[in-house]
Amino acid sequence: MNRFRAIAGLTGLLVFSAAAAYAQVPEPQPVDLPYGGNRTWTWVAAQLHILFAAFILGAPIFVVICEWIGMRSKDLRYERLAKEVTKVTAILYSMTALTGALFIFVLLVAYPQFTSWFVARFSPIFAFIYPGLFIAETIILYLYWYTWDEWQGRKKARHVALGVLLNIIGTTTLIVINGPTSFMNTPARAAGDADIDLKTFVFEQASVFELIYNFSWIPLNIHRFIGNVVFGGFIAGLIAAYMYMAAKSDEDRAYYDWMGFVGNLIGVGALLLLPFAGYLLAYEFFEYDASVGPYMMADQLSMFFEMQGALVGLIFLASNYYIWLSMKRIEGLETVRGTIGMPLMMILFPLVMLPALQLAPLYEGVISWSAFFGLLIATLVLPPIIAKIPPFRKWTMSPTTIIKLGFLMVILGNAIWMTPHAFVATQALATHETELPDVGFTIGAFAYSTTDLALMPTKNVAVALIVLVTIINFLIYNRAIRRGRIQWGKIDFISQYVLIFLAFSAIYTMSLMGTVRSLVRKYFHVYNVLPDFTTHSFTPTLVYSGYLWIAITLTFYAVVSFAIWVSLRPGPEKAKVPVLAQGAISESSVQAPTK
Amino acid sequence: MLWFNIFKKTFFGALLSLVVWWVAGAMHFPFVFQVMFVLYVVLGVGVFILLDAPSMAPLSGGMALVGLVVFYLGVSVFFIGGAAVLPQYDPSVEKGKIQKLLAPRLAKTEYGQQLALQKQVDALNQQAESIMERLSVIGGTAVAAVGPVTMESGPFDLAAFGDDPVAAGKEVYNLYECYNCHKLGGKGGTKKRGPHMDNLGNILTKEQIKQKIFEPMLFYAEGFEKEYKKGLMPKKYKELMTDGELEVLAAYLVTLKDASVNTPKPVFP
Repeated sequence: MNRFRAIAGLTGLLVFSAAAAYAQVPEPQPVDLPYGGNRTWTWVAAQLHILFAAFILGAPIFVVICEWIGMRSKDLRYERLAKEVTKVTAILYSMTALTGALFIFVLLVAYPQFTSWFVARFSPIFAFIYPGLFIAETIILYLYWYTWDEWQGRKKARHVALGVLLNIIGTTTLIVINGPTSFMNTPARAAGDADIDLKTFVFEQASVFELIYNFSWIPLNIHRFIGNVVFGGFIAGLIAAYMYMAAKSDEDRAYYDWMGFVGNLIGVGALLLLPFAGYLLAYEFFEYDASVGPYMMADQLSMFFEMQGALVGLIFLASNYYIWLSMKRIEGLETVRGTIGMPLMMILFPLVMLPALQLAPLYEGVISWSAFFGLLIATLVLPPIIAKIPPFRKWTMSPTTIIKLGFLMVILGNAIWMTPHAFVATQALATHETELPDVGFTIGAFAYSTTDLALMPTKNVAVALIVLVTIINFLIYNRAIRRGRIQWGKIDFISQYVLIFLAFSAIYTMSLMGTVRSLVRKYFHVYNVLPDFTTHSFTPTLVYSGYLWIAITLTFYAVVSFAIWVSLRPGPEKAKVPVLAQGAISESSVQAPTK
Repeated sequence: MLWFNIFKKTFFGALLSLVVWWVAGAMHFPFVFQVMFVLYVVLGVGVFILLDAPSMAPLSGGMALVGLVVFYLGVSVFFIGGAAVLPQYDPSVEKGKIQKLLAPRLAKTEYGQQLALQKQVDALNQQAESIMERLSVIGGTAVAAVGPVTMESGPFDLAAFGDDPVAAGKEVYNLYECYNCHKLGGKGGTKKRGPHMDNLGNILTKEQIKQKIFEPMLFYAEGFEKEYKKGLMPKKYKELMTDGELEVLAAYLVTLKDASVNTPKPVFP
């Protein structure tokens, strides 16, 4: 009995001590991080994590497409490409997890109260769904990598299916984590006419799914998915550029020249969609709260968008320059001629579509959608038809002349994209003296004015023009390779710097746009719901941000470059690579790298 | 051949730059736009020189590595330079705004009250230490005057404006960045986002202004039906602004009576 009392007493004492000790745990307080402060360190950790995550989610999409093409076409270059990119991905996968952990720890130190609330509010996601998906993805990725050599031949389809599964899990992870991220920008309001204020709904009433299913969730999913494919393509181009520079044999140079071309093709192919996906995301911000639109485009973030316009313009110029360089290595290019159809289309497109879009229901509403699309189709279809009519059929041009005209249109489109309403850092400083002048003229129903240069219809047409020119250039390139013969490995050496520049600019632009998405919340952790009471909730200057983006980009580049060097550096067996005949494909022509 | 290519394109680029500069000036584009247009001509010249440039000699080994490092440095400097030449927003302006907007909110939260209490305790501790130091120096014969515990100044305080609600309203107008959509005194607001405010006092009563800010769908400005249907005027101010802020904002806006500016009349749907 005495022993029982002693045990009970001891247990009671322990419980009491534990409870007392627990009660004494103070509320978590933020720690002031040195050198830049809490916001900067959170920014760096988050951005690095997102870059690695984007690569490990984007690369498998690129990889499985290549593997599938390789399986169907029996072209072993695709197989080798897929395997090499997967090898780099497997190494960088651990960096994603490490930077993810770093991000969480920095958050806990820098913003402990907000982080605790946020994780608790989305507890099903942070406690179960996200870690579960991450673990599943890890298992599938390593399974995918370690079964590569084993699941060949008849088992190849099974391996491709595993790659598809990897992408499904990866994309689901992306969609899940985009829920809380997008919630911070556009916290969901109560549905219908329910008279519940935003805070009550967010704090007390909304289910986790209602919080996730907010205005910007789906546009963010689309934007990030496409962005990841672009990223995967450009990083594959980067890998190819490094390997081309390090290649010792003509065979390797031929292969990596081809790999760079494919990486650029997929990167640019997806990039064509990205401005529209970005526009959709910005439009949803605007729909959620119209004051966000001018805040982004005309007020404190307007110069960030100037920078973005310049970068995207440079990316398109560089990708078109790569097409140009690719053309130069085609044998028999001089025999190829093009009609005036494409040049006519490039010139007519902005002239017709600019006023047409302004008059469309989305803006002025003077003409119907059917009239607008009628004009669009006419602009795209009529020039090639006109070019076939006998008097014009004789007028032909070389592909290089057409592409040069395309460059002019890209520069023009980018100049229009970059023209703001006023070159001021905030709308509060915009005066008549700093604004665009109002000079214009009318032709029939079409009105042109210089003030329109700063409006969304003009920006939309400018972006569409750049995209159209890039598509036309690819079409011309395709026509050229049908007539001529590609000399793989003979591309101008400067093209490798173009591939590196594309990847570098894409990463820098991603960092910039991620910053913009966060800064749109102004001085809130969760827009209009949870203010950020710290001293770091202001908008940093563009140049300060520029330094950080460069630091982040260079850090990411250094790690990726190291991963490429570790995984793909030429080994002794590489010397035995058999000859790859120009354009010829055979099983023995490509040596897959060893693990 | 390379130099001829560069010379020819630079020559034509210089001619085109002059034309662009003159045309933009004749159309009354501000100076900075003229610079931007000329920079695009320079970019075009650079691109066309590059298009017709001879092939680059391949680099290998250490030279390739050096080439890469130089290239990365060059691109980094170029990108940072690009960010540096654009107009920079002064963070101190926003910090002041944020302090004014958030300090009263922070004061209402438990965390804010804890912080305030902590600051008071810290200040008292400092003063106690200072007194002890002085006492030890002068041997306890003199007692220094102890001032009141002070708090950081800065929060937006309507009481600070005393009997001047118009000045307070002007401050609210700027704090909530109404200038992003509305033009007033020739400043702010881009085309077709929101009506000019200059003559609002002759168009709406103070009560109507208050109603419009908290219930934007009650009526719209003539000629802005499309913007009204899109719901461009945000509904959030009912949740963000205090009644006091609304009162002084309306008091300010109703004083705007510049009949030379066309502020549109209200339309009640």
